[in-house]
Amino acid sequence: MQIEFKVNGKEHNMKVQPTIRLVDLLREELGLTGTKEGCGEGECGSCTVIMNGKAVNSCLVLAPQIRGQEIFTIEALEEDGQLSKLQESFINNSAVQCGYCTPGMLMSAKALLMVNSHPSAEEIKTAIAGNLCRCTGYNKIVQAIQEVAVGNQKLGT
Amino acid sequence: MDKDFKYVGHTFPIHDASQKVRGSLEYLSDMKLPDMLYAKLLLSPIAHALITRIDTSKAEALPGVMGVFTHLNTPSKTYSRYRIIPNQEFCLEDERLLTDKVRFAGDRVAVVVAVSKEIAKQAIELIQVEYKALPVLSTPEKALQDQGTRIHPEGNLLHEYEYKLGEQLPLTEDCVVVETVTNTQKVHHAAMETHVCLADFDSSEKLTLWAACQGVFGVRTIVADFLELSYNKVRVIKVPMGGSFGGRQETILEPLTAFLAKELRRPVKLSLTREETIISTMTRPATTSRIRTKVTKEGFLAECCVDTVLDAGAYATSSIDNTYVMSKKICKLYRIPYYEHWGKTVYTNTPVAGGARGWGAPEIMTALEIHMDEVAKRLGMDFIEFRLKNLVHPYDLDKRSQISLGNARVIECLEKGAEAFGWSKRFKRETGQGRFRRGAGLACAAHKNGMYGGFPEHSTMTLKMNEDGSFILNTGLHELGCGTITSITQITAEVLDIDPKYISTLEADTEHGPYDFGSYGSRVTYICGACAYEVAQLIKKRILECASQILQKSIRYLENKDGRVWVSGDEQHSISYGDIATTAKIKHNTDTVITHTYHGTSNPGAYAVHFAEVEVDTATGRVWVTDYLAAHDIGKAINPGMVEGQIQGGVQMGIGYALYEEIRVGKDGSILNSSLKNYHVLNAPDMPEVRILLIEQGGDEGPYGAKSIGEIAIVPVAAAVVNAVNNALGTSISNMPLTPEKILNALGGKKHAN
Repeated sequence: MQIEFKVNGKEHNMKVQPTIRLVDLLREELGLTGTKEGCGEGECGSCTVIMNGKAVNSCLVLAPQIRGQEIFTIEALEEDGQLSKLQESFINNSAVQCGYCTPGMLMSAKALLMVNSHPSAEEIKTAIAGNLCRCTGYNKIVQAIQEVAVGNQKLGT
Repeated sequence: MDKDFKYVGHTFPIHDASQKVRGSLEYLSDMKLPDMLYAKLLLSPIAHALITRIDTSKAEALPGVMGVFTHLNTPSKTYSRYRIIPNQEFCLEDERLLTDKVRFAGDRVAVVVAVSKEIAKQAIELIQVEYKALPVLSTPEKALQDQGTRIHPEGNLLHEYEYKLGEQLPLTEDCVVVETVTNTQKVHHAAMETHVCLADFDSSEKLTLWAACQGVFGVRTIVADFLELSYNKVRVIKVPMGGSFGGRQETILEPLTAFLAKELRRPVKLSLTREETIISTMTRPATTSRIRTKVTKEGFLAECCVDTVLDAGAYATSSIDNTYVMSKKICKLYRIPYYEHWGKTVYTNTPVAGGARGWGAPEIMTALEIHMDEVAKRLGMDFIEFRLKNLVHPYDLDKRSQISLGNARVIECLEKGAEAFGWSKRFKRETGQGRFRRGAGLACAAHKNGMYGGFPEHSTMTLKMNEDGSFILNTGLHELGCGTITSITQITAEVLDIDPKYISTLEADTEHGPYDFGSYGSRVTYICGACAYEVAQLIKKRILECASQILQKSIRYLENKDGRVWVSGDEQHSISYGDIATTAKIKHNTDTVITHTYHGTSNPGAYAVHFAEVEVDTATGRVWVTDYLAAHDIGKAINPGMVEGQIQGGVQMGIGYALYEEIRVGKDGSILNSSLKNYHVLNAPDMPEVRILLIEQGGDEGPYGAKSIGEIAIVPVAAAVVNAVNNALGTSISNMPLTPEKILNALGGKKHAN
């Protein structure tokens, strides 16, 4: 089947198998390997991307579902060629260890901050409830996201 | 530790953090080589059977399939996935690339190699296998009882041992005897990246393996020996990995993938799904430990007798050593006049057990600390007071190894941790009589620092200074995501007094790097860190010697700071490390490079005391950990932010161990939960805030006094949580994990007894 969709601001018009999953399309066809796969059944969140403003598990999205949609992946998280505040905050708070969950975690956090610029700790934990991390125990990840939220509050955004 | 350091003791992000937040770091699962083929496994659906027939013809006929392999066209020779060095003891060679007799549900039966993942998957479905079922021995009890059914020809009892240390005194009236039995379960490591392997056999007859592993030299030994290649013809390169926790310590996929690449003369990648990783790689071993202690009425331990049975699963791997090391932990924690430990390692028709974070310590310390609460209850003694009477003191001898425990500060962890947690108030508080009950629990723990005393212990590194004054530290290290590379760089930077950004620390590569045993055994900071410290000291000496020649002044008149050297009192005429390196090369015809081997000569204890508060819903049996404090005797935290991350991650894993996580195996050997849908890993809302108290008293041979953290972090967690639940409910549950069902049963039993 032929589908049109947008990834990280770029238009694509591709012929794909209707059964191909979004995670494979991104990784195998478009070479965007920043999106990881950890379980293939929507339980670990490693493959989280933003589709039409919402965090989704790209392993559960099939090609027909992305027709006409706009998708953002970890590769688009930088702002003007610089690390975004959210990425900086993960680095500065020691919220990155093995890093395999990090892209998915960042995309869930980004999706939250897009609709709620100063979430509470509980709202942050709920937003990343579908993203498993085996290294950090989440404390520093929540702290990293919260620091961006507090920064937003100070800026009045 | 009163000296202020520039880099040591300061928080730095993991060295590749900026690549990780961009998604640009290439993990093994992201790697592709030109002409690469894809392998897919066929795993046994049943637990114990002989393969009577395999028909691979339809799979072979599928276009795009390059090869189909079974036990019929692969070597019948066996190997041990645990071996590090040739002739290593207790490395039973009981495993084949592909088996002719399946020993657990998940055993490797066949493999297809094809031009795409999809074709490989389709071809696997076309293989037809006929099995002749054998009786299934799903527990060690069954395996020991049913001697007629042998999982391996040598029988089901793999190994047993007995240690008796000290003098047993006769039982007197003023002693109490307490006995407990604790069961710990099989657990999935749950590293977020599943297992994957990539191999290439090139036209020069050299095999290259890109390995997400914890020890490249062990992988090389096993693969080269198996394929009968000389060690210089096998190159193993450590590449980025998405977590390990012991799950990638042993050489699981590399022998098969290497064989396939060699047969087909093309690069081959073998990637496992989550389900395949859960059932067919490695698990934390299930154990049962019966502990019997004799204690005086004053609360002093007189003797401690332990009987441990460890379920090895279907292949031996590291299980004999895993059982053995369980006898090496208790005497690091308590002073015990008479200690006895019996251990049995038993084959079963269940997933293969192996190395897992803490290596026997979480298992035995959980049993021990649940037991210690029962003893204190029996004596009517305060839990802390009882432990304080028996805990080891600094520089005690480890009764089992006869090596000094070093500056063992467990008592300080207990006293300061209890105060910071508010233990006395919380513990004595009413647990409540309503639906929700609160309780507090604590657990002490001991672990080690490297392998000295039980295994050779050394590490080699090469440090060279470039002509611009920057450095390359070549090591045999493996970054598992813990921050190893960063902390080793900080240590080197501190010695050289140079910004860490001018030091590149390289990971292990059997062809281009120096030898190291691998990243396990809590040896990396203590042993490899000490190696980095010493090699940096040696090159600094060389730098100052060169500077002395250039400045025409004896070394004792020289000062150095921030990568510059000058004659005391004349800082304005300082010369940079770059000037020194260049002048040394050109004018003095000498090089600034040092290769150094560090030998471990000590193995102090690493200690922790953890405190947990829980809330239990007596209607549903659900437990929440509501507060948590971890006190650690770490000697010196090289990178405090990453140390905290290690502890918080250990607590996440330990709470799961206590409450949820278990690979459940049915009586027929089938795996009842083989996906993350029904294998619950703690997520963010489940996780409490973990407060951390670091005791940094140094005093041992680690770099800047540092001791290990990654493994000890998980050791006390499960016992602290289980003890808190027992405190909340007035129960004595010791059968992990504490699922709602077990909690409700215990409450039901209690009501019934009342």
